[in-house]
Amino acid sequence: MMNIMQHFPVIAVMSLFLGAFLVEIFGRKNKIVRNIITMIFVAISFLCIIALIKPVILDGEVISYWLGNWEPVNGYAIGIGYEVDALNLFFAILVVLTFTLSAIYSLRYMEKDDHLGHYYTLFLMLSGGVLGLVLTGDIFNMYVMVEIMTFAAVALTAFRNYKKGALESAFKYLVIGSVGSGFTLTGICLVYMQCHTLNMAQLSSILANHLTPTTILALALIFIGFGVKSFMVPFHTPAADAYTTAPSSISMVFSGMVNKAGVYGMIRLMFVVFMMMDKTAMQILLAAFGTITMFVGVTMALAQHDFKRLLAFHSISQIGYVLAACGLGTALGVSGGLFHAMNHTLFKGLLFLCAGAVYYATGTTNLDKLGGLSKKMPKTAICFLIGAFSISGLPPFNGFVSKWMIYQAAWSKGVETNNFFYVFVTIVAVVVSVMTLASFIKVTQAVFFGQPSEKCENAKEVPLAMRIPMWIMSALCILVGIFYNFINTNLLTPATNAVFNATNYIDKMMGSGYAAAAGVSETTIEPAALSYWDPILWLILFVIILAAVCIAILTGKRTRGEVLVNKTEAVDGKYATFFGGEKSEHSHVSGSDLFWGFKKNWGGYFKFMQGMHSGDVNDYSLYTVIASAVIIIVIFIFIH
Amino acid sequence: MTVLIQILLILFHVLVFPGFLFVFVCGLLLAGIDRKILARMQKRVGPPLLQPFYDFFKLMGKETIIPDAANKAVYRIAPIAGLASLVVTMNFIPVFSFSSFSFSADIIVIIYLLTIPAVALIVGGSASGSPFAGVGISREMVTMISYELPLILILLAVAKKAGGAELCFSLSGIVAWQQSTYLGIAHWSLIPAALAMLLVIPAEVGTQPFDTAEAETEICEGPLIEYSGAPLGVFKLNTAIKMFIMTSLFTCLFLGGIDTGIVALNALILFAIDAGLTILCMTFIHAVTARLKIEHLFKFYWTIVSGLALLSLILVWIGL
Amino acid sequence: MFKKLIASSTAKSPWIYHINTGSCNGCDIELVAVLTPRYDAERFGFKLAGTPRHADIVVVSGPITSQSKERLLRTLEQVPKPFCVVSLGSCPRSGNVFKGSYSVEGPLEKYVHVDVSVAGCTPKPEAVIEGLYTAAQILKEKRMALADKKQEAKGAETEVAEA
Repeated sequence: MMNIMQHFPVIAVMSLFLGAFLVEIFGRKNKIVRNIITMIFVAISFLCIIALIKPVILDGEVISYWLGNWEPVNGYAIGIGYEVDALNLFFAILVVLTFTLSAIYSLRYMEKDDHLGHYYTLFLMLSGGVLGLVLTGDIFNMYVMVEIMTFAAVALTAFRNYKKGALESAFKYLVIGSVGSGFTLTGICLVYMQCHTLNMAQLSSILANHLTPTTILALALIFIGFGVKSFMVPFHTPAADAYTTAPSSISMVFSGMVNKAGVYGMIRLMFVVFMMMDKTAMQILLAAFGTITMFVGVTMALAQHDFKRLLAFHSISQIGYVLAACGLGTALGVSGGLFHAMNHTLFKGLLFLCAGAVYYATGTTNLDKLGGLSKKMPKTAICFLIGAFSISGLPPFNGFVSKWMIYQAAWSKGVETNNFFYVFVTIVAVVVSVMTLASFIKVTQAVFFGQPSEKCENAKEVPLAMRIPMWIMSALCILVGIFYNFINTNLLTPATNAVFNATNYIDKMMGSGYAAAAGVSETTIEPAALSYWDPILWLILFVIILAAVCIAILTGKRTRGEVLVNKTEAVDGKYATFFGGEKSEHSHVSGSDLFWGFKKNWGGYFKFMQGMHSGDVNDYSLYTVIASAVIIIVIFIFIH
Repeated sequence: MTVLIQILLILFHVLVFPGFLFVFVCGLLLAGIDRKILARMQKRVGPPLLQPFYDFFKLMGKETIIPDAANKAVYRIAPIAGLASLVVTMNFIPVFSFSSFSFSADIIVIIYLLTIPAVALIVGGSASGSPFAGVGISREMVTMISYELPLILILLAVAKKAGGAELCFSLSGIVAWQQSTYLGIAHWSLIPAALAMLLVIPAEVGTQPFDTAEAETEICEGPLIEYSGAPLGVFKLNTAIKMFIMTSLFTCLFLGGIDTGIVALNALILFAIDAGLTILCMTFIHAVTARLKIEHLFKFYWTIVSGLALLSLILVWIGL
Repeated sequence: MFKKLIASSTAKSPWIYHINTGSCNGCDIELVAVLTPRYDAERFGFKLAGTPRHADIVVVSGPITSQSKERLLRTLEQVPKPFCVVSLGSCPRSGNVFKGSYSVEGPLEKYVHVDVSVAGCTPKPEAVIEGLYTAAQILKEKRMALADKKQEAKGAETEVAEA
């Protein structure tokens, strides 16, 4: 059994690439062939990864595979190795879940577009790139996958190139993404020069206790490279445009797995390969960037007028949570960060799908032109509300649990180290959470509630094939929120364990005893104690709420047609909205009008941020370079 | 059998004490006291003490009109969701040494549970489809952003004071700490936080001068404009319960050291303290001030109130 | 039990919504005076509501002008049952000095059943309070009648179901 399992990671990646070629060859003209090929290869990949859950997570094994059977010679890894431990698999599950649902959604969502052969080719390339990045055990292979991912993502950003700004945003993504890739490549070259190996397990054991100035520079460069890939502020600039102009099925993939790939790279390289996260300076650097990211992301989101652009800035903000949590460097922090990464995949995917549904039904995502869709698309509205409540962290949805873990981790880190910085992180995280809620209230009001606008008059509920992924995501949001303890013990704790204990990872690849010889120590990670409330209480509460809702619905029976004033003079306004006696007319409080009491006080800040997001790729490159310089200098000063 | 007893016990906690029935009576009584004392402060006779009960039962008997522009499901569910979360919140706040559930009641959970009633009001108002409600929810949301920052600062200051070098996020832990030393308010470094908390309470409850969101004279009660009958009654009940819960939270954080050992007596003392706090921070401020504009409200909370709370947090942090 | 509780509560907590249909503002001032410390109508539970959806008693002042007629009717329709209509002052009752004007379409009785009329130009606050108090009692009866009607309807339904 084990022997078959060994091949699964590589089959999962290769089937996607194979699918990409086959779609291009056979599926260019015929719709059915194209869809069947795509779905088959996506399904193969999905099943391969799901099958790995049992050995890797439940039995705690590490699965390794040498491409071409090139095993290490004289203790040096030559071939490309694929290695799956709980951390990889955790991210791989998120990746396969995202692209499978996105593929199902694409079937109907993209049907009105041309050149769908190219779309599915690029889609499968992107999926394969991210999955390969997540599963590979070779740092150069990781870089190759980053490149495949970036270029497929750039092409998909510009896929609807008839849309205004699509090409421009693809260009921005290309430039900033290339800068990031360039940094990564340079870093990897430096590492290779120093250590003469590219295998991450071996690198880990070599780098564990031997830092030279070269490897520190490499660390800084790789930090920047994956910072760009995870769209950390100030590298976030292309994300907002790319998420907006890409089709929603792709936006979902971007926020569900492309920026997770950056986070994965960050965790894998900083924690496991370089083992740097026990250094205070690195922790503060990552946590500080995370905090800035979450704050800038959410404030920019508050100022947006476009549904998808707003979601894009929220993606940036939520990644800030993940990075800040990982930057704490404690087990609880990393668990919280991973959990939030997972939850972000779920709720942000859901929200992008809702945005896609709105676009499908109305042809626009402009918040000022939408309104009153909850009556036309009630199911989408419910899904959206679930997603919005999850991302705002309302109990009992999933976002709450991970945010709770992050606050706990940040505060306890602050109390333990007596460092006020972490208290600051906690406070910002809570305030950002409220602002997240605020901006989703804005979307709810502007898109789903209120009175239907012109654009929404003829909107219809989206087809079933688009609703199924939305329902799955919604269900997962709620289930993960309720059975968080199950997720914690079965997914997060093994993954966190893999983050802090590289021994298994190294030994499996390089032969047992290798890690101990290199002096890699081992620590035991206890499962995070989560007991914020009891499931029993929750169930009882659920029953009570259900009963109450039933009563509310029963008492709210409408009695139509009874007008108390004289029938001859009646104007029948009983069920009309109250306008001080005026005839009800279309007047919708749209999104951009909300929160001015808040924005007015922050006028200076918003003006500054608006100026900074000039849309000029030169400016954005400049920010990237300045931030890179700062990171390199900080790492050089503080890391010895 | 033990499971059955446990479930019955939980049901008792959720439905009777300190759950629904307890907060229902105490909340509405507090609202009655608030109205009566306000009237006395204005040299009026004022409504009877049980006036909020009359209001509630009257609204239960009124017709519920759901406007055509409203999303019917959300419109109906919103008030109930708010009420349910308030009942749960009360279960997490210990009545001095008595707390209904053994597991740790966390201040982060409390913060988030307290946002749900406000979110219910916002979403319900938004779902009713009126532009007045649109303006109202915007103000309610800004009010929420305003008081959330000082609230978290206050809670962190108290948690740090109670825990010292350890993590103490649980309210029962804070109460136990006060019983082992002395009342939270007696620590002078926590006094600014207590003052800030007194100012957070009226905003959280939404009484004048922080009732900008429901300004009945300018935007026709904001989010509540289209509500009538039973759902409106539940919203009014939510406001009253929030009054009780916020003052109980204050009691728990700063006056939690009192303990007579008898639960009923404890509950009575809690109610007495809450009534005093209500008069102090809601009735009194209501009687002497006029409604703030929303941008002034935001500024007030993010400068003065947050400043007080931050001062307290820093004092506690440096070990005073 | 609940029927009686709700009915007696209805009498004790009437919320007022005030519509001015072209009044000279005299009656409006008197209505507000009723809520001031001197007269303090709140001791009977009276409260000014901001929207007709919350109202129990609709107070109409002024002779219905043609501009305000439609608005008045629409607002009256939007009040949830049970509710009372109180006409304040002489204008809504007879048109007062405006009677016969081209732009006056009163009296109020033409459009809606008026439960209580408080006459006077302007009525004294004491009279206003008495009128409102009477309206609150009528409200209670209306509530009882409504509950009975509901019960009858339910009874009829079950009979039909049995048959």
